[in-house]
Amino acid sequence: MSVHAAGHSSGIAELDPLIRRVVGGRLRDQSALDDVVQETLARTMAARIRLDDGALAPYAIVTARNLVSGLWRREERSQRHLHRLVDRWEPPGPDDDVVLREQAEAVAVALAELPPRERLGLVAHELEGRETASLAEEWGSTPGAVAAQLKRARAKLRVEYLLALGRIDPPTPLCRPVLMALSGGERRRQRELEAGQHLLECDFCSDMGPTLLQSREKGAEDDVQVPVECDADVVAARQRAREVAAEVGFSGTDLTLISTAVSEIARNIVQFARRGEVVLTRVEDDGRSGVRVVARDAGPGIADLDRAEQDGFSTYGGMGLGLPGCRRLMDEFEVTSKVDKGTTVVMTKWRQQPN
Amino acid sequence: MATTAEPGIEVGGTDGRLLPELVSHLRQHRTALREEWATRITAAHLLSAMTPHEISTETTSVYDNYVEVLETGSVEALQQYARDLSERIIPRGVETHEVVEIVLLLRDVLARSLFEKYHDDFSLLNEVLDAYEPAANRIANTVAVSFVDERERVIRQQQEAIRELSTPVLQVRERLLILPIIGVLDRQRTKQLTEQLLSGIRTHRAKVVVIDVTGVPAIDESVANHLVQTVDASRLMGASVIITGLSSEIAQTLVTIGVDLNKMNTIGDLQGGIEEAERFLGFHVTRSDGS
Amino acid sequence: MLVSILRQGDFLIASIHTALDDTEMERFRQDVVTRIGQFRSRGVIIDVAALDVIDSFGSRCLADLAHMARFRGAQTVIVGIQPDVAFAIVQLGMDLDVHTTLDLEEGLALLERLTAGSRTGHSAIGVLGDDR
Ligand SMILES: [Zn+2]
Repeated sequence: MSVHAAGHSSGIAELDPLIRRVVGGRLRDQSALDDVVQETLARTMAARIRLDDGALAPYAIVTARNLVSGLWRREERSQRHLHRLVDRWEPPGPDDDVVLREQAEAVAVALAELPPRERLGLVAHELEGRETASLAEEWGSTPGAVAAQLKRARAKLRVEYLLALGRIDPPTPLCRPVLMALSGGERRRQRELEAGQHLLECDFCSDMGPTLLQSREKGAEDDVQVPVECDADVVAARQRAREVAAEVGFSGTDLTLISTAVSEIARNIVQFARRGEVVLTRVEDDGRSGVRVVARDAGPGIADLDRAEQDGFSTYGGMGLGLPGCRRLMDEFEVTSKVDKGTTVVMTKWRQQPN
Repeated sequence: MATTAEPGIEVGGTDGRLLPELVSHLRQHRTALREEWATRITAAHLLSAMTPHEISTETTSVYDNYVEVLETGSVEALQQYARDLSERIIPRGVETHEVVEIVLLLRDVLARSLFEKYHDDFSLLNEVLDAYEPAANRIANTVAVSFVDERERVIRQQQEAIRELSTPVLQVRERLLILPIIGVLDRQRTKQLTEQLLSGIRTHRAKVVVIDVTGVPAIDESVANHLVQTVDASRLMGASVIITGLSSEIAQTLVTIGVDLNKMNTIGDLQGGIEEAERFLGFHVTRSDGS
Repeated sequence: MLVSILRQGDFLIASIHTALDDTEMERFRQDVVTRIGQFRSRGVIIDVAALDVIDSFGSRCLADLAHMARFRGAQTVIVGIQPDVAFAIVQLGMDLDVHTTLDLEEGLALLERLTAGSRTGHSAIGVLGDDR
């Protein structure tokens, strides 16, 4: 395994053997195992921004476990998502009236768990569309403080909603605070509570925790997935990337940089792996917005990533600019690859802040 | 806030009988109430950036708009007015809290007058206040939000203006652009500079660009790289680049990142650079005439 | 119509009208080179103004085209690279070492000079657009 980490942190690479052990104990099929490991790494990378470092490994482990049990469940059902490499966790869909009614009840119960002011504030903001500025005025507070309060309320609401939906009480007194800290992405609180340790010990929270973190990604359900297996798909991928980036609000030059990077990365899939996918996601963090590109394949992998990431190294008949070029075009860039198993590239570009 | 799709304000609850009464009371006492409001604004040292005459004019408009919202239940006109008002007073240095406070003052002045009018009939007073307060709060929100929105827009605009100023692309003669860079170059500024230059090349159909870096104290390696990329990108657009005013520090940085200075067209100072550029263009003219 | 290749005297004017995938791009390159031989063209304009992305493959294809044209005795000028695209090409790290001009008009003027120079036996070195 060779991993090159760009940007703020690394350490995802070291998780690979660990995850492999966890998954290996539960899955016999080799290719399914690889899929789960890749997906777990990708999800852990994506969630890292909201996780305390100490919770990283536990998060990866419980995510892998959940993916495995999800895989079992899915196999019993149908195979309608066969074209996707790995299915993503999906929230319970509104299959029928019963489900809808249960969801509505759960929301009501969850709301009732919030302190009155947070409840009213959340309803006023989310449902009536009131600005934080006007709430701040009413509460004698600042818009920033109100926004933070609403963020906590929302995090709490998500926890209470899931609890109400499952009609279960958390088994330990630590569960609620841990889930709250995960849901709100409060890293210091996670550390104080030793959330990582709890995730590993508590079956209940290891089920709930990743669900909360996954659904945190704003608009995660609006992922744009582009299957990539031929030349024409490369063009489609870069065009979709331009569209998604434009929706996020990127300007002309950035749109071109993003779609060029996607073009490169999609071509790598066609050239090396024949088949894979590019997933485009709108991401939000700390008030800034951006677009995240995840390109994965189940191809031969890259033997020497460090070399592949050097300028001048020829990855295929081209000029050897693929990976380092993409890194320059984007703000964050990370590759994980394993020979004979496949490659995942995660890259992000953030909108420039007017400062 | 869903400012464009504000639900109508219901005044007077289900019975609606209180609405015309309220409005006509406020209309009847318009002068007195408005003056009291203005007095309290001054007493609270609000809007100190504005003259008494301006305060008088604006308060009259706000008052009338206010009553109109109570009457029609629609905040659209008020929104529009609040935006225009904000546009007028933001350049004068009026702050958000001032705007919020004056609107709340008006709410209280009017509430007090209602109190005085109905204090004999306690249950009626309660009904009137119940009808009035939510509407008044919503009006206050509308004004405050419009102001904040407008203020943010103005700030954004100013920032962009400053940014444009800091990297001006000048056309000195046909097909010749000059880009004098002054001050510290960071990544974002360099990127903006490149974008402006490249679109400037297209707009002005430039064939030569002189980038003058006399005013740049030093650059780091990533900015140096970016500068080289700017030169290359300009060339891809069909324009040649001359760099002038290269300090020895910057030249050293360029060499460090592996730039072959012989391949870059560098001239000592801006004047020399412009002369070279004109020779370039002149040479081109004679040449194509002759062929 | 994805591309067009027109003959104008000694020159070819080849235009790309829409985004091309790799296969189409290679076929375009081959077609242009074939036509150069067919018409014994002395110069080629490649108009890429319609492309909103020129990635490493696109750059390489254009550079290859210029080299292959040179073997067949023709000069190549790429015209109409968009500002954003130019920026992306250099950010990507491509060294697109070919003649480039702003648009078709400039490209034709440059081709005239490049080929006039070679016809009269004079070096074209020093002519603007032919230098670094
Ligand atoms: Zn627990």
